[in-house]
Amino acid sequence: MEEEEEEARGLLTSGPDQASRDAPEVPDPPGTLPALCDPRRLAHRLLVLSLMCFLGFGSYFCYDNPAALQTQVKRDMQVNTTKFMLLYAWYSWPNVVLCFFGGFLIDRVFGIRWGTIIFSCFVCIGQVIFALGGIFNAFWLMEFGRFVFGIGGESLAVAQNTYAVNWFKGKELNLVFGLQLSMARIGSTVNMNLMGWLYSAVEAWLGSAGHTTLGVTLMIGGITCVISLICALALAYFDQRAERILHKEEGKTGEVIKITDVKDFSLPLWLIFIICVCYYVAVFPFIGLGKVFFMEKFGFSSQAASAINSVVYVISAPMSPIFGLLVDKTGKNIIWVLCAVVTTLASHMLLAFTLWNPWIAMSLLGLSYSLLACALWPMVAFVVPEHQLGTAYGFMQSIQNLGLAVVSIIAGMILDTRGYLFLEVFFIACVSLSLLAVVLLYVVNRARDGNLNYSAKQREEIKLSHAE
Amino acid sequence: MRSCEEPRWGWGRCDPSPILFLSLLSAAPFGLLGEETRQVSLVVIPSDVGPPENLLHIRAVGTNSTLHYVWSSLGPPAVLLVATNTPHSILSVNWSRLLSPEPDGGLMVLPKDSIQFSSALVFTRVRRLGENRGEEEKVHQIGGTEAWLFEFDSTNSSDTAAKPPGKPYPPYALADFSWNNITDSLDPAALNATFRGHPNHDPTRAFANGSLAFRVQAFSRSGRQAQPPRLLHTVDTCQLEVALTGVSPRGNRSLFGLEVATLGQGSDCPSLREQHSIDDEYAPAVFQLDQLVWGSLPSGFVQWRPVAFSQRQRSRESALPCQASPVYPTLAYLLPQSPIVRAFFGSQNNFCVFNLTFGASTGPGYWDQHYLSWSMLLGVGTPPVDALSPLVIGIMVVALGAPGLMLLAGGLFLLLGPKKYSEYQPIN
Repeated sequence: MEEEEEEARGLLTSGPDQASRDAPEVPDPPGTLPALCDPRRLAHRLLVLSLMCFLGFGSYFCYDNPAALQTQVKRDMQVNTTKFMLLYAWYSWPNVVLCFFGGFLIDRVFGIRWGTIIFSCFVCIGQVIFALGGIFNAFWLMEFGRFVFGIGGESLAVAQNTYAVNWFKGKELNLVFGLQLSMARIGSTVNMNLMGWLYSAVEAWLGSAGHTTLGVTLMIGGITCVISLICALALAYFDQRAERILHKEEGKTGEVIKITDVKDFSLPLWLIFIICVCYYVAVFPFIGLGKVFFMEKFGFSSQAASAINSVVYVISAPMSPIFGLLVDKTGKNIIWVLCAVVTTLASHMLLAFTLWNPWIAMSLLGLSYSLLACALWPMVAFVVPEHQLGTAYGFMQSIQNLGLAVVSIIAGMILDTRGYLFLEVFFIACVSLSLLAVVLLYVVNRARDGNLNYSAKQREEIKLSHAE
Repeated sequence: MRSCEEPRWGWGRCDPSPILFLSLLSAAPFGLLGEETRQVSLVVIPSDVGPPENLLHIRAVGTNSTLHYVWSSLGPPAVLLVATNTPHSILSVNWSRLLSPEPDGGLMVLPKDSIQFSSALVFTRVRRLGENRGEEEKVHQIGGTEAWLFEFDSTNSSDTAAKPPGKPYPPYALADFSWNNITDSLDPAALNATFRGHPNHDPTRAFANGSLAFRVQAFSRSGRQAQPPRLLHTVDTCQLEVALTGVSPRGNRSLFGLEVATLGQGSDCPSLREQHSIDDEYAPAVFQLDQLVWGSLPSGFVQWRPVAFSQRQRSRESALPCQASPVYPTLAYLLPQSPIVRAFFGSQNNFCVFNLTFGASTGPGYWDQHYLSWSMLLGVGTPPVDALSPLVIGIMVVALGAPGLMLLAGGLFLLLGPKKYSEYQPIN
């Protein structure tokens, strides 16, 4: 869920580390350092990059633990789907508020290094509480664990991006964002395909299935969070060391959030918010509930269902950079968003009303999801003055989390009472609302001669004319 | 009907479209189908000789046809279904012959030439499968029972590719049950009655606080029951709900199964079809409908969703899978004899058998609350076909219609609306 945040943060990088650029070049390095330890050398930056990638791995891995173990959680904890989906809702609730403050906390309160370590600790502790809830057979404890996990999860993504900007600004930044994104997808994919197997292994080891098995499985899954925490510590060390050697400043998100800006938001921006919320609530809760759907409706085995449930992530790992390039080269963002939403609508219709192999629909969903992320998030920057950008993105993520929390609960309730067909129809309705907003956005943009749907060439011309 | 076409493309492979469905109805060779309403009555036919016996007659009279369902716990629980093409056909019972060792002709539907279709189901055994391979079952294996068990074992292992459900305990032969007096549970207004029974010989006192119940429900109009599996019923059908309550299971995770015998047609057995559907609105997460059909449609059918429930409030959490074995022919003497089947059909019949197994070794099960229920629909004619509910269709129409209209309206607005820069012409 945090992945779209990256796209967002990528745009927020305008001025956070002017300082590091302006910092005087160090004339002579303090002694000769091996390439791997020299912060000015590529080898060292690659080391830091790998740490950055693994920093987010744990939270992405554990975010979808419930989806990967849906049957087991529901059986072992004896909860219905509504309660099961609360695990996702509890992740989203803290982020309704925290999306505004994540950047503030990093910049003003903790600093990037301590911020990262603290958020990693939240992720770790959250996962441990989540697992303990399983071991002690207390579902409320699991919910609490997810809440704590949520406090850390989204803000950690902000910290991860701030580090990336700080280390790679003006060098390989886009590639780094791409790699981090891919790593996030890999984390989700590995989780989907590994956790079911891990559960069976633990079951064989303990001799029986049950809440203890579930708890132990989740605890083992929590190792990834510990790895992430270690990465956070290592990054803090390297960052401090680089500061000492290069005399650069600590990285900042550069986000300025002013809640009062919300009243100045334009109609197109509100429409973008609607598109965003209505679209993502039809993707993430669906993936959260998807595994059992593929098993029950299409007769997939548990392993195959896990695999297909991770297809969206698998596809978006390589496709995000490609679509990013495509949208950059062509412009016409609204048209791309329209394509993505229509494709998603088609994909949900295929899942709902056909018995066709769901690989088709899920691949379409994966493609459209990647395309939407690339086309939608940059649009915010076109309709908001730069000083309000932080507020706009914070608000967008906040209401997105609100939407996810509410829809997760609704989706669970629908599934328990009315089944998957109705759930899919509900998701179709959400996507169609999103489509409605896209069409409206197109019309409003045309009527107001907005700049949202310019081609890349037009944008270039405008830029030039402004320069003159 | 735009909305109907949209979702149709992927509709279950075996499901006929509504148009086909209607044409089938109109082309039905005998006029006993498609009756909108029937006068349905439930009557217990009293025995005029000896102690009272349970014989329940459901008579559903339409404008030009009559359906007879005869349920009885004489011998193993059994039902006859007879369809006639006259509204005046009657059931005639000769009790002294029915209760004799040779009951042939003890039960007749008259006039005989009005009979268009007839068949029967016999519920012969409740099987128990324990997960724990204890020693105790050997104690209870006696005589012929063993042969049955081994026969079941082999068919089971060859048919289900999945892991075998476990070692069978000796089955309960339903012919050796004693049943309550059906008159006590008969509700002629609500059109239902319940056969409740326990074994005559119960050395382990498993049934001390429990019972096996067959609840029969007839319908005077079409619709759905409030509780899952919410099968669509018509006036041509009646529903049987089998419920096992309070019986002490032998193992920790005992599974139960039901053996059902039916009459074959000639040398063939009725076919068991599994229909996959896209629609699970009425039974969440169940995308399948199983049907046993005698011969080509329209004839008689048995229909059920492959789901049973382990709790009285039948939520998704208490849903158990229900697996049906293929239907295989068997020899009449291997089955406990049902006097009403013999009385109606005579002694020369081919029997076919299939087994239903409720639950799996993981997930919810009978052990949760010592409760198990499963429902099926028995009827004559074309089996009812589920259609998308009006709510789903309504939402889809709005969900697809609104953006479409918006696109149209937006397009028109942009074409015909004020053009700010159209008057602008470059000077040269």
